[in-house]
Parts: sequence; C-alpha cells; structure tokens
Amino acid sequence: MNPWALEIQHVSKQFPDGTYALQNIEWGVKEGETMALIGESGSGKTTFLRLLNRLIEPTTGTVVIQGEPASAQDPIQLRRRLGYVPQDGGLFPHWTIRQNVCLVPHLLGWTLEQQLERVDMLLPLMNLNPSQIAERYPIELSGGQRQRVAVARALAADQPIVLLDEPFGALDPLTRHDLQDQFLSLQARLQKTMVLVTHDMSEAFRLGDRITILKEGCIQQVGTPHQILHAPATPYVHLLVQHYHAHRG
Amino acid sequence: MNTDRIRQRTRRISRGIVVGLLGLLYALSLPVWASDTIVVGSKNFMESRLLAEMFAQLIEARTELTVTRRLGLAGTQVCFEALKTGGIDLYPEYTGTGLVTILGEPPMHDRVSVLNRVRTEFLHRWNIWWLAPLGFENSYALALRRDRAQSLGLRTISDLVRVAPHMKAGFGYEFIQREDGLAGLKKSYGLQFQEVIGMQQTLKYQATDKGEVDLLDVYTTDGRLAVYDFVVLKDDRQFFPPYEAAALVRGEILKRHPELGRVISLLTNAIDPTRMRELNLRIQEQGEPVPQVAHSALRALNLVADNHVQPAASTESRDSILSYMWTTRSNLALRTGEHLGLSGLGLFLGILVAIPLGLALERWRRGAEAIIRIIGMLQTIPSIALLAFMIPIFGVGALPAIMALWMYSLFPILRNTYSGLRDAAPNVVETGRALGMTEWQILRTIRLPLAAPTIMAGIRTSAIWTVGTATLAAFIGAGGLGVPIVAGLQLADVNLILSGALPATVLALSVDGLLSRVEQWARPRGLEPVR
Ligand SMILES: Nc1ncnc2c1ncn2[C@@H]1O[C@H](COP(=O)(O)OP(=O)(O)OP(=O)(O)O)[C@@H](O)[C@H]1O
Ligand SMILES: [Mg+2]
Repeated sequence: MNPWALEIQHVSKQFPDGTYALQNIEWGVKEGETMALIGESGSGKTTFLRLLNRLIEPTTGTVVIQGEPASAQDPIQLRRRLGYVPQDGGLFPHWTIRQNVCLVPHLLGWTLEQQLERVDMLLPLMNLNPSQIAERYPIELSGGQRQRVAVARALAADQPIVLLDEPFGALDPLTRHDLQDQFLSLQARLQKTMVLVTHDMSEAFRLGDRITILKEGCIQQVGTPHQILHAPATPYVHLLVQHYHAHRG
Repeated sequence: MNTDRIRQRTRRISRGIVVGLLGLLYALSLPVWASDTIVVGSKNFMESRLLAEMFAQLIEARTELTVTRRLGLAGTQVCFEALKTGGIDLYPEYTGTGLVTILGEPPMHDRVSVLNRVRTEFLHRWNIWWLAPLGFENSYALALRRDRAQSLGLRTISDLVRVAPHMKAGFGYEFIQREDGLAGLKKSYGLQFQEVIGMQQTLKYQATDKGEVDLLDVYTTDGRLAVYDFVVLKDDRQFFPPYEAAALVRGEILKRHPELGRVISLLTNAIDPTRMRELNLRIQEQGEPVPQVAHSALRALNLVADNHVQPAASTESRDSILSYMWTTRSNLALRTGEHLGLSGLGLFLGILVAIPLGLALERWRRGAEAIIRIIGMLQTIPSIALLAFMIPIFGVGALPAIMALWMYSLFPILRNTYSGLRDAAPNVVETGRALGMTEWQILRTIRLPLAAPTIMAGIRTSAIWTVGTATLAAFIGAGGLGVPIVAGLQLADVNLILSGALPATVLALSVDGLLSRVEQWARPRGLEPVR
C-alpha cells in the first residue's frame, strides 16, 4: 500500500510573472505523521501548502493526495477533506465564532446539534471558552484568540489531513508553548496527518515528526529532528542548526 | 445559521418590492386606457396651455368624452412626437411652426398658402388634421421699450440694422435655434448684435427693466407687451411666416369621435388678437389660474354654461409661500405621490436590472469594464435630451419618464455592485475557497453580504439622483413635482416654483435619510466591534 498520505512528484511552480516559487520538489508525508515545513520569508512555504489543496496548480509535476493524483479529484470535495489554517487566520468577519468553526461541517450538511456539540468540544481544546466567545464576531477577539479559532475550524469536520500555515504566529511565548502542548496531546489522540508551516526552529523540532527545510523554492533536507541536528545535509541547514543552538543558549 | 437569516431577509424585501411595484403600475396606468378618453396636450408656455384648457373644457361641456390633460410638454418636438405616437390626441399648434419646424420647409409669407400647405402634408404623411384657425396669429416679432425705440428712431426691423451692433438681445432658446428665428433673421436682414443672450421666455421682460438687454423676441399676443409698454418693430421684409393658431388633431380620433371635430370647430375665428392678448395678460400678470381664464373665455363666447366650471377659489399665489402651499395642499400631495411613483418605479427597475447585471459581470470580468463604461455614458446624456429620445419609443406620460429614470439609476448601482463584489475581502474569499466552498456559496455567503453596504450606497446615490431628475418629467407630461416648478417658471411666480421645489427637496432629503438607515441595516454585524 502507498505509505504516503501526501506526495509531491517532480513539482515546479512558476508564477505567470516569471517567479519560480518552487523548483523540482520530491516530497511525501506519511499517514498520521506531522511534517514541519520551515524556511525564511519568501522561501515558498505558503505556495507549497496551496499546491496541496489545489489553490494553486503546479507548472510541472504531480501532487498526489491519499494515493490519487490531486488533478483527478474534484477540488471542492478534496478541499473539504483537507483542514486548512491560512496564514492570516482568514475568519469570516460577518460570521460568529460558532459559525466560523462550523463552516465545513455546515458545508457537509451536519445537523445543528452536531455542529454545536463540535464547537463545545473543539474550543476548549484550543483553550477557548465556548460560552464566552461562541456568539462573538472575530473582531471582538484578540489576535491570538482568532488564530486559535482558525485552528479549531481546520479540525472541525474531523478532516484526516490538516494544513497549517503559521498557526501560532501571533502568540506570546507562554500561550504559544501552552498551545503547542495542546497540539501535541491532540495529535497523540487524533493521529492526523499534519503539515505545519513555521519559521521557528524550536517549534519545528517540538511539533514535527519530521522536518522539511526549504530555501528559495528548493528542499534542502527532509528528516527527523535528530537527523537534522546531527547530520545537516547542506551548509544552509548547518547554519540554521548553529543558529538554533546559539539561541537556546 | 447566518445564511438562513440572509435568505429570510431577502425574501421579505423582494415580497415588499413586488407589492409596491404592482401598486404603482396600477396607479400609473389606469386613466390612459379607457377608450373614450381624449388626451389634450399643450406646450410649455401659457398661451398653449390656455388654448388646450379651452379645448378640454369645451369637450367636457359638450360631449360625453372624458378628457385627460397633458399640459406643458417640452417644446414642439415633444408635443408633435406625442401626437404622432398617440400619446396625446390633440394640441394647439401654429401653422408657421408646422411649416418650418415640423416639415422643415422654408418660410412662406401668405397665410392661406401656409395653411393649405401644412394641411395637405400633415394629412398625407401622418393622418393628422389642422382644424380651422382660431382667429389670431401669434407670430414672432422683435420688440423693445417704447422710449428706447423712439429715441433711436426705430420703427422697422430694417431700421434696426444700423444700431444692432451696439445692442444686447435677449432671445428665447427656441428662437435662437429656429430657422425662422434668429438664423434666418440675420440672413434676411443682415443683422449683427453686440451680444445675444439666451433667456427663459418669462424672465426676459424683467431683464429689460434692469437694462441688461435691449431687444427681445416676443410673441405678438403676449399680454406683457402692453404692460411693459413695448413696441413691436414692423417686419418690413415679411420675414416671419404667419403663425395662425389652430387645433392639431389625430385623424383616427376624429374618425372615432366625429363630435370632437364639431365641438372644436366652434372656436373657429372666435378669438381675435386683442382678445388673446387680454387673456394672456390675465394669466401672466394677474396670476389668474388657467382653468378659470379658459372658462370665462368660453363663457364669453356662449360656448359653455355659466355654472359649468367651479372657478377654483383663485389660489392666491401672492400669499406667503407656506399659506400658498397649504391652500394647494391636495394638489401638492397628488404631485408628490406621482413624483414618488415615478422615481420609485425607475429606481426599482434600476435595482432589478443593475444588481443581477453586476453579479453576472463579477463572474465575467473580461467584459465588465467595457459594459460598465457604456452604461456610464447613459448617465452623461442630458436629462431633457434623454426624455426627448424616449418619446418616439414610448410616447408621452409616465412610461417614457420611468424609462429615462431607470436608465439614469443603473450606473451607480451597477458600478457599486460590481466593485463591491469583486473587492469583497479577498483573503476571506480565498479561505472560503480553500475550505471547500463552491463559487456560488462564496458569492452568496461571503461576497454578497460583505458587498451589501457598498451596493446600498450605490442604490442611495441612484435614489437621490432619480428623485431630483423626476422633476423634469413634467416636460413630457408625466406629472410630479416638476409641474408647479415648470408652470412657475413660465409665470415667473416664485411661490409656484417653491411649492414644487420645496417638497422635492424635502423628498430627496427624506429618501436619503431613509436609505442611510437601510444602509446601516444592510451592513452585516461583525464588521465593527460592538461599543
Ligand atoms: N501569486 C503570485 N504571483 C507571483 N509571485 C508569487 C505569488 N505568490 C507568491 N509569489 C512569490 O513566490 C515566492 C514564495 O512565496 P510564499 O508566499 O510561498 O512564501 P512564504 O515562504 O510563505 O513566505 P512567508 O514566510 O513570508 O509567508 C515569493 O517570492 C513570492 O513573492
Ligand atoms: Mg507564507
């Protein structure tokens, strides 16, 4: 059986203006694995994620989702199976938190009771109090709370695969650490396939089963935290690791 | 869910709109359809109104027919188009105008040959009849104050050639345009003026008082010639063609109602120039209402019974504006109702077309800008011109006015719908797509609600514009608050003008206020924090 939940074969992406955002990518994530995707700003991380849910089509190569080429799948159905947390959260400003979280369940036709139950279960996982915020609008939440709601929304329909674009970007270190813990215990229970974009090495090491390091649209190394730390494949990875050690003091 | 609420709301709105539309259509369309109704029209100056009113009262008094009045149509073109297309059945016209303006032929100078010529041609081309002339001519003439004329020694237009280069002429717009007006006059006499100022007919006499202009074009039956002590310069080269007044009637209606021709013919040669000037004077200077003067003229001819018309207690237009408006309140209420009906229907149709079009263009963006620009060009057609273009297609009355208002209302709504939908929070749209919403779901639950305030702002702009423009509907006989304004302009009667202008302003302000409320309400919650 195909071990890959997500697979990218020979993919390059060139934007119409000529920018090469990704070049010749060979890559895969196993079922139930958390893959951290790390790289500096503009290295192509967001483009990478958006290839997976067909918001972007590759210029060359194939994206395979759960064993089937993405291009052969109906994009609407495909996207409903992939949870997605966009980089800016992307909450609907005119919908309440409850409505936002229940977006995909609603699209899938769940009953109202099922939806409410789901909200009451998910928000506490994200350290949010449903009775306090469920009926508020996004603008009435703090930036960090909004990010957590966006994560809850990506998990709402129990999608087997979740793509997260810097979900903990705007949080203070304590809350961030807290949520990373939540994320780990959640992951231990749910065993979802996750792709988590971050630009923070320690977050990548903490949360990722494996780590993909991206630079200027090219993969530098894919490996477990151990492999990255002890056998950096390129000078760039070496530099990152050094930097990481220096900051940990 | 949110979507249910929106759906419910939309349903409520559309039901309300449909009910309103049906009501308005019903109210606007009734009188014109009854088959034994005669529609009498007139141009937008007092003599034309008076003659039309006399026709109308005569028909009412001496036949079983019902009369609808569409008085004050804007100029010869509008009136005649309306007659050709059946928007009106008859109106008073002048033979010279028929020859030169309508037939586009060179002026002739003999009364009888002009009449024969227009009779033959009108009958042949359009089956329209010139009934027997009423007994007076209302020609163009040039006139100036007696003291000026005497000190300059002017008696004929030829005398004028010498002094004209030092004179300012105040001429009506139609006169300036017409071949048998200024242009021909210049050619025929070789006249050159220091300056020609285009002026509204009724304001001209006052302007000579202040010495702003020296010379006017006048109608020979104008009552004010006597009041302001003007002398008419003799047309020594017989340039101005004869303008005999007569009723112009559609052949079909004469065939269907022969009694109509008989009744109007009672006025043949019944009004001599002195009498006409005197009647005009009563309206122009003494502020007597047109129906009352018409009635007393008919009574003097023994054509109607004494008790026939209730000479409406002379609306004292010399009162203060408020008490004047109070005495005419029922009429004003009617006009306000018409006004709201016209602008409301125009706006409603605008919404009905512009919003779906905006939705379609958002889907088909390649052609969007071009189409929006074309619709935008409609906006730049001057309102009066647009109204005039409508007449050959829709006749006169409410329909062409509504169509014109409709065309005006399209652009702001279309523009705002399109750009509101296109620019609605792009990141949110993208997220919706990423989470598996179809484009239709995105449109319905993201783009539309987020664009609603922008769309409402467009509707509001259109509404104010429409309410403002609807005053011009009076020019094509569609009623509305423009009626007192137009009539007031002709009479230089400030109270009359204000009695239309004030309610129109109040109306525009209240519509604006109301719609700003609706705009607030259409704004989805969550776009700003609760304070
Ligand atoms: N639609 C587009 N058209 C042209 N170029 C694009 C487009 N989207 C992204 N790019 C370019 O592709 C490159 C990768 O962009 P991407 O958004 O994937 O970076 P990123 O790694 O997510 O950066 P960040 O950490 O700042 O979010 C950048 O150089 C960007 O300018
Ligand atoms: Mg990014």
